[in-house]
Amino acid sequence: MQLQYFLLIAAALFCVGIYGLVTSRNAVRVLMSIELMLNAVNLNLMAFSNYLDPQQIKGQIFTVFVITIAAAEAAVGLAIVLAIYRNRDTVDMEQFNLLKW
Amino acid sequence: MAHPLLQSIWLIPCYALLGAILSALWFPGITRRTGPRPSGYLNALMSMATFLHAAFALPAIWGQPPQEILIPWLDVAGLNLTIPIEISTLSVGAIVLVAGINLLAQTYAFGYMEMDWGWARFFSLLGLFEAGMTALVLCNSLFFSYFILEILTLATYLLVGIWFNQSLVVTGARDAFLTKRIGDLFLLMGVVALLPIAGTWNFNELAEWAQTAQVDPKVITLVGLALIAGPMGKCAQFPLHLWLDEAMEGPVPASILRNSVVVATGAWVMYKLEPVLALSPTVLATTVFIGAVSAIGGSLIAIAQIDLKRTQSYLVTAYMGLVFIAIGTQQPEAALLLVLTHSLASALIIMGGGAVVWNSITQDVTQLGGLWSRRPVSGFSFLIGLAGLVALPPFGGFWAALKIAQGVWETQPWIVGIILLVNAFAAFGITRVFCLLFMGEAKQMAQRSPEVHYWMALPMIVMMGFTLHLPLILEALDLLPSWADINTDVALLLIWSTITGIALSAIVYTNNNIAKPVVLPWKGLQDLLAYDFYTPNLYRSSIVFVVALVSQITSWFDKYLVDGGLNLFGVLTLFSGRNLRYSTSGQSQFYMLTIVFGIALISVLLSLPFLSHVTVSLFPQNTTEIVMSVQR
Repeated sequence: MQLQYFLLIAAALFCVGIYGLVTSRNAVRVLMSIELMLNAVNLNLMAFSNYLDPQQIKGQIFTVFVITIAAAEAAVGLAIVLAIYRNRDTVDMEQFNLLKW
Repeated sequence: MAHPLLQSIWLIPCYALLGAILSALWFPGITRRTGPRPSGYLNALMSMATFLHAAFALPAIWGQPPQEILIPWLDVAGLNLTIPIEISTLSVGAIVLVAGINLLAQTYAFGYMEMDWGWARFFSLLGLFEAGMTALVLCNSLFFSYFILEILTLATYLLVGIWFNQSLVVTGARDAFLTKRIGDLFLLMGVVALLPIAGTWNFNELAEWAQTAQVDPKVITLVGLALIAGPMGKCAQFPLHLWLDEAMEGPVPASILRNSVVVATGAWVMYKLEPVLALSPTVLATTVFIGAVSAIGGSLIAIAQIDLKRTQSYLVTAYMGLVFIAIGTQQPEAALLLVLTHSLASALIIMGGGAVVWNSITQDVTQLGGLWSRRPVSGFSFLIGLAGLVALPPFGGFWAALKIAQGVWETQPWIVGIILLVNAFAAFGITRVFCLLFMGEAKQMAQRSPEVHYWMALPMIVMMGFTLHLPLILEALDLLPSWADINTDVALLLIWSTITGIALSAIVYTNNNIAKPVVLPWKGLQDLLAYDFYTPNLYRSSIVFVVALVSQITSWFDKYLVDGGLNLFGVLTLFSGRNLRYSTSGQSQFYMLTIVFGIALISVLLSLPFLSHVTVSLFPQNTTEIVMSVQR
């Protein structure tokens, strides 16, 4: 078990998240992709804290904060999706292109 | 300089200028009720003042050495522009001539312009001319002479274009301005180029400099050619002669002035520049050539004209050509004598012609005739003008022609041939006009033609007196050659050429057996002369064509290439803005993709310097190795 495996996994997870972020048509799935990216970050933080900073484990503290903020962000994000849904009766991302050129 | 009239000689141009300015009071837009006549009287009064001043100043300067008054004008950065005023017998005498002819022309205009409301404009321009010409003869500097010549060019434009509701007047004034302007511009080149070579524009200093000057012959030839180009346009010499023909669209009194005096302004500058021109034999030869071509061409064309005023204007070109010949053969005194005799005689002929035109309406000489019994004053003014102009002893023209011919008899006899030819042609031409006007049957236009009234008759009679007295005056002033000096061969040749010209013309035009209008066996030649060698076509197909073409090309270039280049810039910016806005697609996911790409790009760019140090091994031995390699 080495650091770089964790990093590679995290990077792969991040890329999957980005792919989902830019390709999903459902707004909720976009939020879910954002969660995937945040979790990839958390994985990075945990791996670094485990291999490079086993004494002070500052990365784990960061991870706790990231999880907290991610929960709050997901709540606000879902609230926004709901607000849009109330107005436009859809959560299709391709219908939200009113603010163009 | 004790004499007060000499001290105040600088006032002379001011009189006429004052008259010209005050005339503006009688413009129809300003004085609306009482008519413009006082402007004419005022200007004549000013001419009279000029004439009297100069006439009384003349005895005071007679026999005295020339004096100079310096009027500072501008002194800037090493260039000292002081107006030198030369007071000599010659300059004061020239003022007497100019003011005298002006006074007579203005008196004539009282009669001629009787039915015209434009007196104020007309007389103020005559006043401006008089001021300009007197200033020209007084000022002794090439630079200020140029100055005045330009003002006179503008005044010519305005004076020719006085009746501007006629289309031919407008084109004539345009041509008069542009043609003279071209000559003047060349003159300016010469004037500017002369300063570094000679270091002065003062005519006296130029003459002194020219005596000992060592200059590059090419340079002085070019400068000399530029210097004769100005008088070439002014004196209506070939090929810049068309303007004088078209300037005959103006009123007759102005033509008197122009033909007798204004064209002589160019000759005056040439006279003053003669020492400089003499530095280059090429320039002298060119001057003689231009003069010879103009003299022969002008006198031939004059014979073939049917317009009364144009038969006279081409003779002016011819006689100014003789002046050019005199300058080109380095006889400035002869040139001046010719200008004097020509101006009196020419003014007389034009006055006579104008008097006929005034109440016979038509200017077509083929429609007039038989006026002699009813028009004695006009007829005599024509006859005496003829006598004074051509080489007919004892009148003035003979002595001038004799002087020029004698000067070249030994060295360049072929010039004498040209003078004889021109003299014969001129005699033929004027006699032809005289015969057509005054002899034979009265045609329809001339059947009831009374003599003119006193305002026009008076100046003609006075001018006849001057012309007739000219030989006596010349003799009194010792300007005539003594009998011993006269080359009888030349004198006889001149007399014979005159008699031949007059006699031939009289035979052709008073003989009823020869069909009128006379047709030459070769129609092409007659048309060629009648249409002035087709000079308008020549201008239009050469200079005017080229300039018009070039201006169209430059206009096109400006409009499409220069403007287009700049507009292209703006249009490109507009288009890029219009098209690049589609990058704002409204899809937030697209924005996220852009952000990701941006971050990726920036991170690659930022890590480029480090990438070479990173050793990528998929299976490093321990974790520190990556850290170490990055730090390195």
